[in-house]
Amino acid sequence: MSQVNRLDAGRMSSEHIDRSSTLSFTHDGRTLPAYPGDTVASALLANGVDVIGHSFKYARPRGVMAAGCEEPNAILQMGATPETQTPNVRATQQPVFDGLVCESVGRGRSFIERQQKALTGLIGKWGGRFMPVGFYYKTFMAPQSAWLTYEKFIRAAAGLGRAPTVPDADTYDHMNRYCDVLVVGAGPAGLAAALAARRAGARVIVCDEQEQMGGCLLDSRERPDDRPAGEWLKTTLAELEAMDDVLLLPRTTANGYHDHNFVTLHERRTDHLGDRAPAGMTRQRMHRVRAQRVVLATGVHERPLVFANNDLPGHLLAGAVSCYIRRYGVVPGQRLVLVTTNSHAYRTALDWLDAGREVAAIVDARAEPAGTLVDEARSRGIRIIAGAAVIECRGDDRVSGALVAGIDIENFRVTGETETIACDTLASSGGYSPVVHLSAHTGSKPVWNDRIQGFVPGETKQQLHCAGGAHGIYPLVDVLADGAMAGGDAAVAAGFERVSPTLPGLARVEESPQAALYHVPHTLATMRAPKQFVDLQNDVTAAGIELAIREGFESIEHVKRYTAMGFGTDQGKIGNINGMAIAARVLGQTIPETGTTVFRPNYTPVSFGAVAGRYCGALFDPERYTAMHRWHVEQGALFENVGQWKRPWYYPGWKGARGANGEETLQEAVNRECLAVRNGVGILDASTLGKIDIQGPDAREFIGRVYTNGWEKLPVGKGRYGLMCGEDGMVMDDGVTTCLGEHHFLMTTTTGNAAQVLDWLELWHQTEWPELEVFFTSVTDHWATMTLTGPKSRELLEQLTDIDLSRDAFAFMAYREGTVAGIPARVYRISFTGELSFEINVQANYAMHVWEALFAHGEAFELTPYGTETMHVLRAEKGFIIVGQDTDATMTPEDLGMTWAIGYRKPFDWVGKRGMARVDLQRDDRKQLVGLKPLDGSEVVLPEGAQIVFDPEQQIPMTMVGHVTSSYYSATLGHGFALAVVRGGHRRKGEHVYLPQPDGSTLSAEIVSSMFYDPKGERQHV
Amino acid sequence: MSEFAVFDPHPVRAGSAEDSADSLDAARSRSPLHDAASPVSLTTQERAGVLLGERAFLGHLVIRGNAEDPGFVRGVEEALGLELPVTPMTSAVSETARIHWRSPDEWLLIVPGGEEYRQEMALRYALSGHVAVVDVSGGQTVVTLSGQHAREVLMKSAPVDVHPRAFPVGRSVTTCFARAQAMISRVGEEQWELVIRRSYADYLWQWLLDAGQEYGVALQS
Repeated sequence: MSQVNRLDAGRMSSEHIDRSSTLSFTHDGRTLPAYPGDTVASALLANGVDVIGHSFKYARPRGVMAAGCEEPNAILQMGATPETQTPNVRATQQPVFDGLVCESVGRGRSFIERQQKALTGLIGKWGGRFMPVGFYYKTFMAPQSAWLTYEKFIRAAAGLGRAPTVPDADTYDHMNRYCDVLVVGAGPAGLAAALAARRAGARVIVCDEQEQMGGCLLDSRERPDDRPAGEWLKTTLAELEAMDDVLLLPRTTANGYHDHNFVTLHERRTDHLGDRAPAGMTRQRMHRVRAQRVVLATGVHERPLVFANNDLPGHLLAGAVSCYIRRYGVVPGQRLVLVTTNSHAYRTALDWLDAGREVAAIVDARAEPAGTLVDEARSRGIRIIAGAAVIECRGDDRVSGALVAGIDIENFRVTGETETIACDTLASSGGYSPVVHLSAHTGSKPVWNDRIQGFVPGETKQQLHCAGGAHGIYPLVDVLADGAMAGGDAAVAAGFERVSPTLPGLARVEESPQAALYHVPHTLATMRAPKQFVDLQNDVTAAGIELAIREGFESIEHVKRYTAMGFGTDQGKIGNINGMAIAARVLGQTIPETGTTVFRPNYTPVSFGAVAGRYCGALFDPERYTAMHRWHVEQGALFENVGQWKRPWYYPGWKGARGANGEETLQEAVNRECLAVRNGVGILDASTLGKIDIQGPDAREFIGRVYTNGWEKLPVGKGRYGLMCGEDGMVMDDGVTTCLGEHHFLMTTTTGNAAQVLDWLELWHQTEWPELEVFFTSVTDHWATMTLTGPKSRELLEQLTDIDLSRDAFAFMAYREGTVAGIPARVYRISFTGELSFEINVQANYAMHVWEALFAHGEAFELTPYGTETMHVLRAEKGFIIVGQDTDATMTPEDLGMTWAIGYRKPFDWVGKRGMARVDLQRDDRKQLVGLKPLDGSEVVLPEGAQIVFDPEQQIPMTMVGHVTSSYYSATLGHGFALAVVRGGHRRKGEHVYLPQPDGSTLSAEIVSSMFYDPKGERQHV
Repeated sequence: MSEFAVFDPHPVRAGSAEDSADSLDAARSRSPLHDAASPVSLTTQERAGVLLGERAFLGHLVIRGNAEDPGFVRGVEEALGLELPVTPMTSAVSETARIHWRSPDEWLLIVPGGEEYRQEMALRYALSGHVAVVDVSGGQTVVTLSGQHAREVLMKSAPVDVHPRAFPVGRSVTTCFARAQAMISRVGEEQWELVIRRSYADYLWQWLLDAGQEYGVALQS
């Protein structure tokens, strides 16, 4: 069997395939031939493949129905390798490339029957083919506990396609674009609009979801300027391509129309080339377009008619049949019956005749069809049955005949005798639905139009214009003029002067009005007739919708959810309007009264890869590095993420440290680093601390208002610890701020909060106190900071600096300028370890030089680098808090026992003062920060986060009175210790508390001062 | 001057002339991109669609002040010999310096490396009232971007219109750049410069190389 349905070369001059070479692809394990230019759907039809899958609920055979993105049945799993699996690819939009591998996602009848047997076993008499609408809701509601059992069966039976199991081999990216006019759709309306907009001088982007631009011109019978439509198309595209500032994007779907004329386009760059993207190319690209004006020339979707067994392979949309014949040279059968409500669809019968095949009949719902194409069909001898419709399709795995009867649309009934007409292909056209999706994304409600029997875009807040079929203008001659007008309007609105393009001469194709037929009546009642499908992907039938309404679901949104109409990957593009029409009829109201469901982005499914773009792997989120980062890496440091920063966590095995078992553990490394600081000298890369330069005559005043403590008396050359609160009185940040000059301060913030604190300062300055003269500038990255700490730090630094480091000349909390290792530096005597400390700041470009010089001289002092873990232990031994670890936005400075840092009598009401004074925050049984000393042995380290109780014997639920916030083993103290918040903790020193553990055991601890080491602070003042 | 602490970050080199431009000590300096890795393979300059480079060790000063105060505007111009750009997203350039508008009361001055202290002193002498001058030279660097596909690289990175109609030579925009920020300046027909922060430099360098890969990337000499 080889391309049995392909016409002979030359038969269709309009075809867009390249017959000079042959491709081969594999579908469901069968290798088939195709031509370049084919879609998978056209190739499958060419090869006579009727059944492309089975429906997921009823396991009915299904074939290709459409030729575009609205296709409900021909949905494939694609990919030759696990790395290139793509689920739910529409065969109608996927070009064939050599070696393409795909399979049906319907998983075949046997799979579904197995699943249904499983369901039947589970739930008794239901299951199989008799699941009515709402089946799942009704069956699996009770008992609730059984859901877990049901779920795995339902999940296995549900869904289409398989998610890939390994990472995607390809990459995706984003591109930001701007234009004056974005034209969505490159059919006649879009191309005329693009020409008009560009000639006026606008920057234009034209996108079209198909492989080739042209829309209906690609298969039109009409002859602009008395030439085939394809020729005008070719000339026009060439003209646009030659222009500057026109970007033509084929294979690009406009999927979302967002606020401010921001439109997301999804370009499939390499999907037509192969299983994997060529090297150096991203597979798909998301264009993030910000357009001044948007022209929606999105055209229409044809509606099929809803009649019995209308899901049989061989029933196609009339327009799709024409498309396959004229674009691909494929006739999917021998003998056609066309059933239609309108004159335009007659072209399909004419195309079928032109292809040399037989037209059995045209069945027209209208009593007196008329128009140019109707006349042509008559004159070519086609039998036209007027005032009738196909009420049922006959056949097993493929259409074999059409049951035709006269119908009374008004009264929804069949009139007269039925007649069976033998045929192998049934084309139906129930009219056309303008593609209003993108317009609806903007919040615009579609409006019903009786003339075209369809919804058109309603009023919108966005800067958009509609053109052509998208707003119900159908004759080609009018579409071209309308497109040119819309493009010109858009350009004018964007500030250009109108220049109208010359349009081709074209005779008007006359048509008589169409019939308002959606659901075709049957001789049997809907519930008894063979299934009449509305949504083929989700197996929603006309009977299902009628049942839903009888059960009380009157809102179309409820009907949709109850029946699952429009829930498939096709989002009901061809079925929903029919469903609404059925609902309207049953409810005895009009379609506009029934209304549409909401159209949401995305218009078609988008690969996750395209959404992520390059923001994955190493580029997912920035890693921020200090100037010494490379050194840390080379020294084998392990890193901790602090915000986006990578900070050295600890340095296992530094200088050959081996630990007890040959490889230093975290605890061993931290013990070593802690002891080095307490007994010798250690160094920390503290560059990540936020640093904010504050200048201005009111700098001191401002700082006093945002910190809880007093700043009036801080002299130049000295620093002070400050606590920052939110308006609620809760601690939000802390750090040391140094007075560099009368109008010049340097504030430090916690690493993770730097940006938020700067925002916070700007917020207060810009909104509350704009009269204060002060400027804030981040200098975090400018200064590299090295903390030299430990009893030997002075001795080491003396070798490298010209600053007098003596206790009298350089007191605790002072800062000095001088050189360190020959580099100008600011040195601060600030300590976060409780030891004698010098914080050396140099311009970051010089940091590595100074750092290495310190290590060169530090050899003799066994200078030891330490990381954040050691920093945490050392500060906790001193009871120094870490905002965000020991606080959680519910802790006031008083809860932390830091009343020494509160300037109750400051002249201006600083941020948080009033919040802190609230009655509830003054309770003395609030959770307060204390130290905990474990009582169960010196090796015990209480788990961080462990809940604390006073009474270990209490029945569950126990009264929880606090939790452990920081907990470590201290090599200096020789035992574990913790910081914790405990209800009323400040007055409970000496009491015992208990920490019940998940394993049923209970730990105990004594409440002690949070200052475990050197409580008088003697070591930092030396 | 006791209101402000002005700091010269550069060491005085033995035997160097008084000229402060000489005090930049490149030998002991490491630029933010010193250790940046190259995850993609590079091509030759002739074949490259995108050329990337770094203008390291320049002097970067943030200037804050009131653009509506004629004294401030005049003072800046006297100190720098450059017109203060008060139109949003513009810049002014002399042979050695460029000043960029960054916000209604903020400018970024970029001068040859080592000159930042002298320039700050000059500004502080010329200006009075409420102003701020902040040396941020160690905290950022300048990346150069050119080549026929430089614009595409920018389009992949930033949500700003870089079309010649919207982004003429001399324009300067501070905006999101990938998941970080950058100031984008068009300094020539096909020459662009990015001012990026030191701590994000490795990330952005990787990003730029990746974005340019499909066009071929070479390093600018």
